[in-house]
Amino acid sequence: MASEMSLHNGSERVSTGSGVLRRLLLGGLILSGLTLLTAIVAASVGPFTVPFTHTATTLLDLIGIGESTAKPTEQAIIQSIRLPRIFLAFIVGAALGISGGIMQGLFRNSMADPGIIGVSSGGATGAVVAIASGAATVSTFFLPVFAFIGSAAAMAVVFLIASVGGRFSMATLLLGGIAVSSFLGAITTATIILTDDLNVQRQIIFWIAGGFDTARWESVQIAAPIIVVGALITIFVARDLNLLLVSEDEARSLGVRVALVRNTLLISASLITGAAVAFSGIIAFVGLVVPHVVRLIAGADHRVLLPLSALGGGLFLLVADTAARIVLSPAELRVGVLTAMIGAPFFIFLLLRSKARLL
Amino acid sequence: MKPVVQRVLDVDGLSTRLDGKLIVDSVSLSVDRGEVVGVVGANGSGKTTLMRTLAGLIDADSGRVSIDGDWFDSASENRSSRRMRARKVAYMPQSAESHPFSAFESVLMGRYPHLGRFQLEGSADRDLAWRAMERTSTTEFVNRKLDTLSGGERQRVVLARVLVQEADLLLMDEPTASLDLRHQILTMDLVREEVGRRNAGAVVILHDLSLSARYCDRLVIMNEGKKIADGTPWEVLTPGNLRVAFGVEGLVEPDPVTGKPHVLLLGSEDSSGEELVGAGRKVHLICGAGSGRELMHQLKVAGYEVSAGVLGTGDSDREAAERLGLEYVSAPPFATISDEQHEAHMELVRDADHVVLCAMAVGMNNVRNVVAAAGATSLFVIEPPGVSGESGDLEVGDYTDGLASGLRRGLIEQFGEVPESTLLFELARAQG
Repeated sequence: MASEMSLHNGSERVSTGSGVLRRLLLGGLILSGLTLLTAIVAASVGPFTVPFTHTATTLLDLIGIGESTAKPTEQAIIQSIRLPRIFLAFIVGAALGISGGIMQGLFRNSMADPGIIGVSSGGATGAVVAIASGAATVSTFFLPVFAFIGSAAAMAVVFLIASVGGRFSMATLLLGGIAVSSFLGAITTATIILTDDLNVQRQIIFWIAGGFDTARWESVQIAAPIIVVGALITIFVARDLNLLLVSEDEARSLGVRVALVRNTLLISASLITGAAVAFSGIIAFVGLVVPHVVRLIAGADHRVLLPLSALGGGLFLLVADTAARIVLSPAELRVGVLTAMIGAPFFIFLLLRSKARLL
Repeated sequence: MKPVVQRVLDVDGLSTRLDGKLIVDSVSLSVDRGEVVGVVGANGSGKTTLMRTLAGLIDADSGRVSIDGDWFDSASENRSSRRMRARKVAYMPQSAESHPFSAFESVLMGRYPHLGRFQLEGSADRDLAWRAMERTSTTEFVNRKLDTLSGGERQRVVLARVLVQEADLLLMDEPTASLDLRHQILTMDLVREEVGRRNAGAVVILHDLSLSARYCDRLVIMNEGKKIADGTPWEVLTPGNLRVAFGVEGLVEPDPVTGKPHVLLLGSEDSSGEELVGAGRKVHLICGAGSGRELMHQLKVAGYEVSAGVLGTGDSDREAAERLGLEYVSAPPFATISDEQHEAHMELVRDADHVVLCAMAVGMNNVRNVVAAAGATSLFVIEPPGVSGESGDLEVGDYTDGLASGLRRGLIEQFGEVPESTLLFELARAQG
């Protein structure tokens, strides 16, 4: 066999390197296309149905192409009620997808989720404080602000626990996250039980179940910059995360500044999760399932995995939120409930499948 | 353009502490281009910590490391110095981690220090990776995920990654640890080839002393954090060094094929602190023409002090006795045993706690060996190896017209006969 032949045939048969760009473009196009279609459906359906053509022309009009054929009421509903909700669902899904991918890479464990270091529980506790203290009724923005502060504080505490003694440990970070989460969960439960105000109880449970019914353009304006900047930072160090996932020693010996990369990723992933949780409540399974599925299809390279997890998470949550709005119409199912109801069986299916492959 | 520095690694008084404990104790060593230096030593002797310090994975306590003429801070997180170092030093860890990347992706990661932040791996990088995978015979699982490969297969993928890094200095921590024999040889051949081809240097931790002697230009022996020997395999692989560094009794002799030192392990100091069965007891072997060498070895391992006689020059039993450092009486080849030699032999026989008469061929030249056996107080006569379980014919090795057989028969009547396989057991029983 001519070795020259095998060399060329061989290295071209392997789809990596330029494959990164190819997978990224292909996956990105498919997911963006699906997202756009879902957005048109989502902007059309609901208690007040808008014809798809009206929705499409309205959306085109908004980006300066052509003129809307929709009636003014339809335009108003799309623009001020449905579009902010679509945007918020998408960016929250994107935030959860990308930080799930980061946490799974950092902890070398595909069971890790964005809330693994206590961020979600911290956000919930912050929200509970805002609701129980009445701050949430003073201004609608106190709730997300309190929740975000709660997330950041929980992350900081877990970080401190993991850094005690000057030597940072991922194992301690994980265990600290579990401990802090349980503690904060207990505070939330205690507040629900101890409060006399049924309205407060209901609001807390409602918030924890996760949803986008309060979405407004202002929410998007606050959450989007945090999430977009955080996501860009993590994509900047995606290749370093690849090496980190192989082994810390190998990454360091190949020139990766391990501590810097790890801290950058942990902090950005936590902050974007915090921003997502602040405006949506707790939405389960997106951050766990989406990166998992993307990895199965597009491989483990984080340069592909992280951007596609963001797009995939956004799409998934947009679909789930649209479904939540229409399954019990005119009533609404909380989207956090729906993602867990769809996500959990799907995840079990994946587990059984990979187990069957191993056996 | 910087001139090529011949000395690719220079380590000066390097000490490393882990949790306050001194693990590497002022080690100095150097590696020239084209040189493969092996590091050997017992578990916990500091080999891996030394290598991890050299690779910049842990901070040194004191001392300096120079790579290709540049002095490096040991574990600096400074970006450019990290990248510079990664272009010059490739590190292969002891265990090849399992992860969800494909083998090809893993190998391509070796290009990391050569690529800009957003620079994608180009076709030149991919060709390099493919060629490295051909050299490590890993192309068959090029698209398989690492977590579906065996430990040995993963190790070969990591080796390909190390080659792709194109470093001037290869630091390899037991690169052959999970490999089968064939791949151990292939891997070490590849290390030699790479060092020769790219004029690089390599430091390789190995556990197999004979393998290290075969492939390394120089060996460094570590013991309790210190370097206790540094030199060619012939210089450092001495029974004395083996005893100090590994706590084993060993022999070093030329490999019949390569001529490189080959280490034969005889036994070890009993780590439980119990005495070996033969400790403090003397056994004398009467043998010749290879009839006693296996017993010599077994008895020595069991801790007996062994002597032998009378052995002719060139006799294979004599060579074995010489190698094992036994006390023995020798005679010129095929010459009849002289009075003087017989007297010296009798001395050894009387001095021994037990005497073993091997099933050897006897001619008129060495019949006095059988006579000497009669002087023993505790004698074991070895049964000649028989056909299908029956004991062999006494006359077979007798070239003395029945004289030797007669003497032997008399000894058997007095002391009995034992098969060679049960001798050690019988000896142990004889001493209670």
